[in-house]
Amino acid sequence: MIEFSLNGKNIRTDAEGDTPLLWVIRDEFGLKGTKFGCGIALCGACTVHLNGSPVRSCSLPVNAIANTDIRTIEGLEDQHPLQEAWVEHQVPQCGYCQSGQIMQAAALLATNANPSESEIETYMSGNLCRCMTYVRIKEAIKDVAMQSDSVVQIHNPKTETQSTQGVT
Amino acid sequence: MTRLRKDTFVPSRRSFLIGSIGGGLMMAFAPTINALEVVSGGVAKQLLDKLFSPTVWFEIDNNGQILVNIARAEMGQHIGTAIALIVADELGADWEKVEIKHVDTDPKWGYMVTGGSWSVFQTYIPMSQAGAAGRTVLIEAGAKLLGANPQDCKAENSMIVAGNQSISFADVVKNGNIDRVFSADELSEFKPKNPANRQLISKPSKALDIPAKTNGSAKYGIDVELDNMVYARPIVPPTRHGSVVKSVDDSLAKRVKGYQGYQTLKDPSDTVQGWVIVLADTYYGAIKAGNALRVEYDLGQTANVSEQDIIAAGEALVQDKESGTLVVEEGDITKVAGTAKTSLESLYRTSSVLHFTLEPVNAAVEIKDGTCHIHCGNQWQSLFLPVVAKAIGMSEDKIIIHQYYLGGGFGRRLIGDYMIPAALTAQAIGKPVKLVFTREDDTRFDCVRSPSVQQMTAYWGEDEKLLGIEHGAAAGWPTLAVAPSLMPDGLDKKGKYDPFSISGADHWYTLANHRVRAINNPLAQKTFVPGFLRAVGPGWTGWAVESFMDEIAHKQNIDPIDFRLSLLDASGKNAGTSPVSVGGAKRLAQVLTEIRERADWGRKLPQNQGLGIAISAGQERDMPTWGACVAHVEVNPKTGGVKVHKLTGLMDCGTVVHPDGALAQTEGSMLWGMSLALFEGTAFEEGQVKDTNLNTYSPLRMNNLPELDISFVQNTEFPTGLGEPGLIAVAPAIANAIFNAVGARVRDLPIRPETVLAALLT
Repeated sequence: MIEFSLNGKNIRTDAEGDTPLLWVIRDEFGLKGTKFGCGIALCGACTVHLNGSPVRSCSLPVNAIANTDIRTIEGLEDQHPLQEAWVEHQVPQCGYCQSGQIMQAAALLATNANPSESEIETYMSGNLCRCMTYVRIKEAIKDVAMQSDSVVQIHNPKTETQSTQGVT
Repeated sequence: MTRLRKDTFVPSRRSFLIGSIGGGLMMAFAPTINALEVVSGGVAKQLLDKLFSPTVWFEIDNNGQILVNIARAEMGQHIGTAIALIVADELGADWEKVEIKHVDTDPKWGYMVTGGSWSVFQTYIPMSQAGAAGRTVLIEAGAKLLGANPQDCKAENSMIVAGNQSISFADVVKNGNIDRVFSADELSEFKPKNPANRQLISKPSKALDIPAKTNGSAKYGIDVELDNMVYARPIVPPTRHGSVVKSVDDSLAKRVKGYQGYQTLKDPSDTVQGWVIVLADTYYGAIKAGNALRVEYDLGQTANVSEQDIIAAGEALVQDKESGTLVVEEGDITKVAGTAKTSLESLYRTSSVLHFTLEPVNAAVEIKDGTCHIHCGNQWQSLFLPVVAKAIGMSEDKIIIHQYYLGGGFGRRLIGDYMIPAALTAQAIGKPVKLVFTREDDTRFDCVRSPSVQQMTAYWGEDEKLLGIEHGAAAGWPTLAVAPSLMPDGLDKKGKYDPFSISGADHWYTLANHRVRAINNPLAQKTFVPGFLRAVGPGWTGWAVESFMDEIAHKQNIDPIDFRLSLLDASGKNAGTSPVSVGGAKRLAQVLTEIRERADWGRKLPQNQGLGIAISAGQERDMPTWGACVAHVEVNPKTGGVKVHKLTGLMDCGTVVHPDGALAQTEGSMLWGMSLALFEGTAFEEGQVKDTNLNTYSPLRMNNLPELDISFVQNTEFPTGLGEPGLIAVAPAIANAIFNAVGARVRDLPIRPETVLAALLT
């Protein structure tokens, strides 16, 4: 039995300890926004936040995350300015990688208020977009960074609202 | 290609029905005019009874919401948005009230395929006419309600307006008892709106599918859950064809929690040969059990085939002047070859390339109450539905493919082979099955872009005048593998050929003597299922043609743009045909002339930097998208490494229906072109691709992003396709830029640093 917080709600899982967090999130708790791409932590489609830092859930065994805070794309609850910017810049094509892209970018902006072009490229290059929407990803990130003088706090459902998207 | 498209994919003359149903207004195409003549009764009855099996339809409810059904797959091209824009513009609709729905397979939708960059091209006229017919009916009904003359009314923003009076579509729908049939002839009278009056087409608009793709709610095939389903993973055998399972040892798999055993598949369709499927309570359980399973095989014939074997077979084929099927024959190249004073011969090769759709292929299948429900993203439902029927022994009308978003298509999902093992397993165990391929399973089962070999030969006469070009292209053919009945005859009627695999070799340059032979590489065909990979044939024919045009220009000491322009005279067959290819090669010349300015061609650059040009005419002569690319590269002469500073792209696709979608497709396809030019390429080793994941296969990432400058020729010509064409000219433009930078001519894709270094030394 492993307990952790998923998008602000305390949960427990009976999954085998070596099960990657990805499958627990997707198949046990039904949060399908986090995607399976490569299974070896090299595409970034499965990116979630662990205590605020981006991690590749496809390669993170669930027994390593006991008592941590996990946040998925659903946990942003359409409140993160990046999500609006993604629509404004019409970023997604097939969309499959975009949850991971947004989670990775959110982590960047939470720690770096004004990333340079090359900081964005370095930080985001672990996330593959097979449709190659990179130009727009970069523009959307720059846009959100410009709108704020400080780092962009990630919406925290525990403090800001009672609702916990998707987790019941 | 015309034959294939017009007769196979698009039903011909159809009537159009508009009727008030259940408080709303429904509009539908009937399949044939003959059906109309034999059925009596009102339109509403016919629509309700589905007597006409309407193939494409949209409806307006009594709140004025407009629902457009989309029978095309959504894989990133925002196709539903483009199709809905066409309908809504003609209808005079308020875009805010338009919704789309992607539909499941049903014979009423007609032939279902999404590929070839065809969707806008094929739907533009029928959907414009459908919208115009709807507008006509709404105006007639609205005019009656307003007490106005229909001639004095117009439809805009979902309102019927007559002078200072107006009534909403919603109120017309609520009040109007509409019952109207347009014959195919009447329908064909509707011409698309005067471009000056368009409200939506070519105007900025946001894609309807995007918001769901920013919050995790967009549903892909891999997200499907069925009650009581069992998770499954395939054990992909060592050869694509001919493997036979000798024994299975699952003693170690039994230790995996939730392991539910395995199935050895028998597939009457022969799509999968020698397949074992592992079952478990969870997908991770299925992955682990799959790793623990020991399967022994009798191997297929191709177990030892290497990339080099396939390339060598291709080289032998192109050098045999009698090989292949004649696709272009202008003048007499044999005679020219005999009398030419000088010649130039170059061999171009491309490696195997993976689709690597980020969503690995998968399918969930449930056979329930005599119907087989298949849940997955797919591009060519009408191709594999009969194959599923054969595999599981059920009739086609008992099989439904439910459609979801595709986590990448790029042609991989044109071939629905991944549905077969899922359906066979569901049938065998009598339970719903969700079969997911791991990344490694997916790449080993990929229908790769075939390695290709092309020989180009140019001949010059006494006065150093270019006399003609001979072109032979050998590759594995996707159409031969999955749809051989669609292959046309060659010019000499001595054989058939895959048009998708040679398109682009029949280019728009005027040559007095020009021969093209399409050659199948049987070793490629045996070793794997050659796939349609974004741009398909033009992805390699464009590489050879446009690299070779540069070689010729340099040999003749002519500027490569001037040289190309000299052959783009739009004479004879290159004059083009109205409306689709109106202007012909002149439009290509215009694109070339404009990009010369835009990219500041001919400017002085620092040492080891260069500009390179290439052009393309899209996917096929019957649907040309006129395009050009200028690449600005820098070569490191010590390492052979190539950095792309900038790609300039200019496209003429006629009317740009959804401008931002068009730009997005061209950004993506040009970067694909760059990725295929420099970063992607695998090789067969012992009958399989050697790269199975991102640890060794490295598509372009953000840190290699060049500056992009993409623009579109602004005109109102017939809209053609954009999903693939942007890709074609990029690789040759980069190679031509490398030559201009450092004088190294590279002829193999991908362009690897060691190849550049080797070329520098020669």
